[in-house]
Amino acid sequence: MLAAVSPDAAAAGLFPGQRVTDAQALRPDLVLAEAEPEADARALEALADWCVRFSPAVAPDPPDGLFLDIGGVAHLWSGEAEMAADLAARLARDGLTARIAVAGTAGAAWALARSPAAATCPQVLAPGRMEAEPLAPELAGLPLAALRLEPAAVERLSRLGLRRIGQLAALPRGPLAKRFGAGVLLRLDQALGRVPEALAFRRPPTPWFARLDLAEPVSAPEDLARLCRDAALGLCARLEASGRGARRFRLDFHRVDGAPVGLELGLSRPACEPDRLARLFLPRLETLDPGFGIEAVSLQAAEAEVLTPGQADLASLLEPVEGPEALAPLIDRLTARLGPRRVWRSRPLASHVPERSVRRTAALEVAAGPAGGWPAWRPRPLRLLPRPEPLEAVIALTPDEPPRQFRWRRRVHRIHLAEGPERIGAEWWRTGIEAVRTDQVRDYYRVEDQDGARFWVFRSGLHDHDRPVRWWLHGLFG
Amino acid sequence: MDGDRRNRLAALRADIRRLERVAGPVRGRLSLGDPRLDSALGGGLPLGQWHEIGGEGAEAETGAAPAAFAARLAAALLARPDQRGRSAVWILRRDDLFPPGLAGLGLPADRLVGVCARDEDEALAVAEDALASPGVGVVLAEVGAVDLTAGRRLQLACEARGGTGLMLLRRPFGGGAAATTGGTAAATCWRVSPAVSAPGPGGLGLGAPRWRLRLVRSRGGRTGDWRVEAGAGGGEGEADVAHPLRLVAELGDRDLAAPAALSAAG
Repeated sequence: MLAAVSPDAAAAGLFPGQRVTDAQALRPDLVLAEAEPEADARALEALADWCVRFSPAVAPDPPDGLFLDIGGVAHLWSGEAEMAADLAARLARDGLTARIAVAGTAGAAWALARSPAAATCPQVLAPGRMEAEPLAPELAGLPLAALRLEPAAVERLSRLGLRRIGQLAALPRGPLAKRFGAGVLLRLDQALGRVPEALAFRRPPTPWFARLDLAEPVSAPEDLARLCRDAALGLCARLEASGRGARRFRLDFHRVDGAPVGLELGLSRPACEPDRLARLFLPRLETLDPGFGIEAVSLQAAEAEVLTPGQADLASLLEPVEGPEALAPLIDRLTARLGPRRVWRSRPLASHVPERSVRRTAALEVAAGPAGGWPAWRPRPLRLLPRPEPLEAVIALTPDEPPRQFRWRRRVHRIHLAEGPERIGAEWWRTGIEAVRTDQVRDYYRVEDQDGARFWVFRSGLHDHDRPVRWWLHGLFG
Repeated sequence: MDGDRRNRLAALRADIRRLERVAGPVRGRLSLGDPRLDSALGGGLPLGQWHEIGGEGAEAETGAAPAAFAARLAAALLARPDQRGRSAVWILRRDDLFPPGLAGLGLPADRLVGVCARDEDEALAVAEDALASPGVGVVLAEVGAVDLTAGRRLQLACEARGGTGLMLLRRPFGGGAAATTGGTAAATCWRVSPAVSAPGPGGLGLGAPRWRLRLVRSRGGRTGDWRVEAGAGGGEGEADVAHPLRLVAELGDRDLAAPAALSAAG
């Protein structure tokens, strides 16, 4: 079965859906390639990411379409027609054939893009033509298939002699819905803008968007840094004017060869200072590959919140501010440089299992609930090994005496003081009761060796004559 | 010839004085809890400077006793009224710090920010950045070594906001010691090793942790060798942050610290 045909093949009478054997009989020199729908879908998503240079709101429309919400963006190209022409030219340069249409609704744009006229040049339906009564001829003359209807519905309608959108729109709505179902009416209304249509945008549309186009591509790191700052200046001026700050920023550089490269930045507190943003992006700009050059940059902000600046008291103008607010710039710098998982604050978690008694949160996250501590009567080591290490040559009296001597990391430790045991079992309430085994019980001892070094060791499992006793070292006290 | 030589000597001495004055102003001093300890430091641990804390023997690898000593100092420092609202930043290379243990030594987890650096240079760069930031009272960093250049940079960072740095020297497991070039820009250099503790009340269990502290370098002070105990508060496990250390025995000069005196003190 043919999935798609090239223009030459179409001219020779081949069509999608034709059987391969028939096609080969028609043209013995036919060149066949396996259809790869997954790769096509990936390519469409990549193209959607590339289209971010035109608008932040891009929705892929599989198998072969893209919706761009260009509301409020087209003026950057001094008009919708110019913008569409630019898009067409860039796509053509990359070897892609495209049919482009601009209209007031996604449905009308879809229909126009599939009209024969769109094959030669981008179609723009001027605003105001949508509501025209009777329907604008550009739309009215299109076949019903352009309404994104089910093929079965199109066939039923065409049996009644309804072939053009204009004919359908002229019919009374009531009988139409009764006869052909609400789906037909919905698609008609969506195309004509009587019903809103929700598009699944790749990224949530944000009004906080800034972009810069360059006359000449650049690739020097200092140029990228300046671009980043310029984009931040534009966006932050708008944010500040509305009294808002944003927590997430995304910087996209658009390369000449079409591959987008981007950086994400998360802040611990909403901010709108362009210099600070530029400084946070700066160390990571080096990691980007500018390829043959960058020709545009876009910066968008998400999670914008209204900033409520506290009244700066006079003392804080003289003295540097203290407290978590003062720490925020440092935390942001470290998070941007090292990644969010490498900067943390620890919080207690109600669990007696040592590994689970600590929870890591973002360094500036406000603690939920009272910030309790760990029970002071349970001594805990200063260093906890990521996983317990086995002790060798352990001399200990059975059944429950602490070790007298053991070897750990090629050193022999003779124990002269010991404390314990503290028995810690598995958390049986987390799994089924049948999963709990006595060999998961740990008896912890604090021991001190001949030099005064202190260790947290445990014996795993209850005493059992048939099983050798195993000892582990889990932590070190200072 | 003679006068020329004298002039050169005078010039070199002036150079040395200038180099020695790399240290910025001392922003207060932290009492270690015992006048004999404080007097060796010239009145307490100078703040707004950075200090080097190393371990000896196995502690150079595990870094437990030096970390405990540093945690006691950091806890006492954060408890000062002029450090209210400031945090401690602990920079790790190996992610094995356990906050409940630190809480037991008096350093609360909600005033501690943990950072895990990927390499030595990054750890030092983060330490420098943190020291020069507002809202940071003390920076603890686990590094292999601090050379003279890095030390000067740290000192400048300390002067920016009056932060205090505690550099914990720790070498990787099984690895050799980092090459030491001799000079250091640290205000003080400590060597910490565990010491045998006295049994707890009733002769049972473990007593408060004890350390042997060797002060091998102290700018404007004396060196020393002591045996100290973590100053414990009323309740079990509750640390007294106002008096971080309690002096158990003064060992004085290393050569005089005979084994007999050690066991008598223990």
